[in-house]
Amino acid sequence: MEHRKLLTSRLLFILLSPIFLFSQQYKVDLPVPHTQLTLKNGLQVLISEDYSIPLVSVVVSYKVGSLYERPGKTGLAHLLENLMFQGSRNISRMQHISIVNKTGGVINAATTEDKTLFYQTVPSNHLALVLWLESDRMKSLTIEPDIVSQAKNALIEEIRQRRTTDPYLEIREIFDQLIFQNFAYYHPVFGSEPDLRGITVEDVKTFYSSYYVPNNAILCITGDVDTEKTIGLVRKYFETIPEGKDIPVLESSLFPKAEGDVVRTHEDSLATYPGFYIGYRVDSPRTQDYFPLKIIEYILLRGNSSRLHRRLIVRDKTAIQVTGGLEVKKDRGVFRVFVTSVNEVMKSRSQRAIFSEIDRLRTNLIPQRELKKAINMFEFDFRSRYSSNLARAFFLIDTLSDSESGNQTYNLSNYLGVTASNIQVIANRYFFQNRIVLNVNTK
Amino acid sequence: MLTPNKEKKEIHLFVNYTRWVFFVFFFLWGTFLSSQERFRRNPPPPDPLPVLHLPNLQSQNLTNGLALSVIRKENLPIINLWLVVRTGESSSPDGSPGLATLTNRMLSKGALNIAAAQLEERVEYIGGYFSHVTFPDYSIMGFSFLEQNLDDALYIISQIILRPAFSRIEIENVKRAIRYEHLANMRDPEYVARWLLLKILFADHPYRKGFYDDDMIRNLTRSEVVSFFSRYFRPNNALLVLLGNLNFPTATRKVSSFLNTWPKGELRYEPVESPNANKKMRVCFIDLPNTNDATIFMGNVIPAATDEDYFPFLVFNQVLGGTPNSRLFMNLRESKGYAYYAFSAIEIFKSCSVFSLKCRVRPEVVYSSVMESLKETERTLKNKISTSELEEAKSYLIGNFPLGIETRERLSMKISENLALELGNEHWNDYYENIMLINSNKVFEAVQDTPLLTPVVVIVGDQKKIIGHLREFREVEIYNDKGILLQKLKWEGEDS
Repeated sequence: MEHRKLLTSRLLFILLSPIFLFSQQYKVDLPVPHTQLTLKNGLQVLISEDYSIPLVSVVVSYKVGSLYERPGKTGLAHLLENLMFQGSRNISRMQHISIVNKTGGVINAATTEDKTLFYQTVPSNHLALVLWLESDRMKSLTIEPDIVSQAKNALIEEIRQRRTTDPYLEIREIFDQLIFQNFAYYHPVFGSEPDLRGITVEDVKTFYSSYYVPNNAILCITGDVDTEKTIGLVRKYFETIPEGKDIPVLESSLFPKAEGDVVRTHEDSLATYPGFYIGYRVDSPRTQDYFPLKIIEYILLRGNSSRLHRRLIVRDKTAIQVTGGLEVKKDRGVFRVFVTSVNEVMKSRSQRAIFSEIDRLRTNLIPQRELKKAINMFEFDFRSRYSSNLARAFFLIDTLSDSESGNQTYNLSNYLGVTASNIQVIANRYFFQNRIVLNVNTK
Repeated sequence: MLTPNKEKKEIHLFVNYTRWVFFVFFFLWGTFLSSQERFRRNPPPPDPLPVLHLPNLQSQNLTNGLALSVIRKENLPIINLWLVVRTGESSSPDGSPGLATLTNRMLSKGALNIAAAQLEERVEYIGGYFSHVTFPDYSIMGFSFLEQNLDDALYIISQIILRPAFSRIEIENVKRAIRYEHLANMRDPEYVARWLLLKILFADHPYRKGFYDDDMIRNLTRSEVVSFFSRYFRPNNALLVLLGNLNFPTATRKVSSFLNTWPKGELRYEPVESPNANKKMRVCFIDLPNTNDATIFMGNVIPAATDEDYFPFLVFNQVLGGTPNSRLFMNLRESKGYAYYAFSAIEIFKSCSVFSLKCRVRPEVVYSSVMESLKETERTLKNKISTSELEEAKSYLIGNFPLGIETRERLSMKISENLALELGNEHWNDYYENIMLINSNKVFEAVQDTPLLTPVVVIVGDQKKIIGHLREFREVEIYNDKGILLQKLKWEGEDS
């Protein structure tokens, strides 16, 4: 009898245990009001209400991108992004797109170096539908040989198209190789044709099962939603998806010790004008140095009154275009400038002018008004980052990723507080030496 | 104490009991698990359609005739300002297409007391930027900035409107920029195809001036810009739309204080007649070297958006080619494998609309793609749309409408378009109702006398890869990148 009571009570406990699978909820103080929670299977969930328009944006961000690819298997992350639309257990091929379109919504996806994003904006009465779609492909994507083969062919065609129509693509890849040095960081996100051809169905299945798991993902829902009801839906569709085991971790990788300036030249058959890249490496970019570096980007390159635009395009007229900025890939950052000019003489003058402007930044304190201007422009762009439901979702995802690595790039006050001395110190720290220059000649 | 027999019986009962408990446990657990997954088999039904509360537009005409509209939006500390002038490229003089575009772009290039470089600096200092877009019927200058700088922004606007500089150097700079942009755009096959299609459809109509080439821009002069500005950039020909955390009386007072000295102009409104539709199918080709595929745009003139048949036409367009679920896509891409994409669209102007189909196909199936598109169009014209397709199309149009006004830029553009083209409440508050009232009879009746089967067809691609595949058309007009007809190719032994 005693045994029965004990057994019964234990079984009752097990039977009733699902009731205890509530996830933790708490609020974090950020510029965008939201609720954050983590399900038992590790899925991180962000929900932000906005009743101004009856739309909802749903974004699933998987923490995997081209950085996680091995040599010989480039393009795998991008390939999987495409395959995620080719059907899952309960959703037939291309039906995901078709279903979203029928609601009047829009859908897209993107692969970057460190994340792959799937996003859609639909009328808010279709939230459950989108969660059903996203959870099904997270749980049970269809990966079959003929589908993989077709997707590979489509991407190979896309690569060929890019290579024939983008005149400076090759030069960018060469520059990335020079400046990042590490294969994971410099190979292009869309991969190479030989690598794509060599990717097998097993490769795809392994990549999917390793990274496309709830404890490697963030689900963000913004718009005309009720938080409590949304949590209920999220738990219904996502909580039973098993968590992934042994998710491969990307090792932290800093630049090797620099060995002085590097200057190279490349002849490009597609380039219509001569040009060049100038770049500086930035180690561990997500430190306090990030904020003044970002403002330097605005001082030098953003807007018609920025220093480089004013000097090269307006005053000296030595350049046709001047672009660039701070680019961060996980632990490595690069500050780059790209210029095209009408001829070799103008190209040389443009290069000298850029070095001169960078030296000016290092040796003279920036005037207060100019600094304020750069900060104001940055503030405008920063606030525009959460101007729509989808933009807000991307912002929240970036915020969560940054906060996990201890950075506060989402905190506007860090940028508003940048001073002229900060600018000068950072310019001397990163732009004094060890620059990389790649000159482009036309054929 | 238990006897051996009694003990055996106890154990036996206990084992049976345990078996039953485990059986019940696993049965319930299995049911629980399978019920969890059963719901995945089918899509969940939608909730009821949410109510769309359109932003409240408060409007007033100032004493000088400037129409001011304010939309209160509190979510961001940013103000969007749109100056809409009810004059576009159709009003450019016949020999000066592009003049409206140039004049509009020159507004942000300095005032008499603020040089262009200084103006750029001042605008960027308040966290702002300008944007310009010119259509055949109207022109927009957009100005967005941080909200705490409203007074500075209005001061800047007042100076460039009341005392524009139009410096010769800046005019040459802007002309150069417009030309380079046009040349860059002319590397995009879709841009080229649409550009030539509209140029041909509007060949005998003032709208043709909106589709200029780079050479035409080169010849524009400062005196033309000054004259165009003086004539058309007047408050009684303009609207100012403000969007932000703004109180209407305060916004009205501030705008008035900065712009009430903007003098009215003598404007004679001359309605632009609708262009004639193309009556016989024409096939036109432009060479774009180094492109692998053929891009096709085909279309014709249809009634304006203010016409009672516009909404049925919207539904027709949705069924035919609005999304990847529509007939064109399912036929040309999914069924025949001709196209990478195939869609249809309606573009609206004040005096007409243009209905067009676009697709990108392999060179060898150009003729088949055009014919199949026409066949699909005819099928949709000649047969009443089924209930399921109709409801799907309406559902899409209703669901998609909020997306068209979700961001500040899209909202401002929509309001500017509605006001400039005088589209009225049918395209705003009454939009949902207008869509809901459509039935297949209305669609059928609306599209019967339209010239969709006699389109102008524009094909863009690499001549070396495509020209041989155009034989089946029997006659093709060859154009250059200025939109000038070079020759007509005829097969069956004739060349002209």
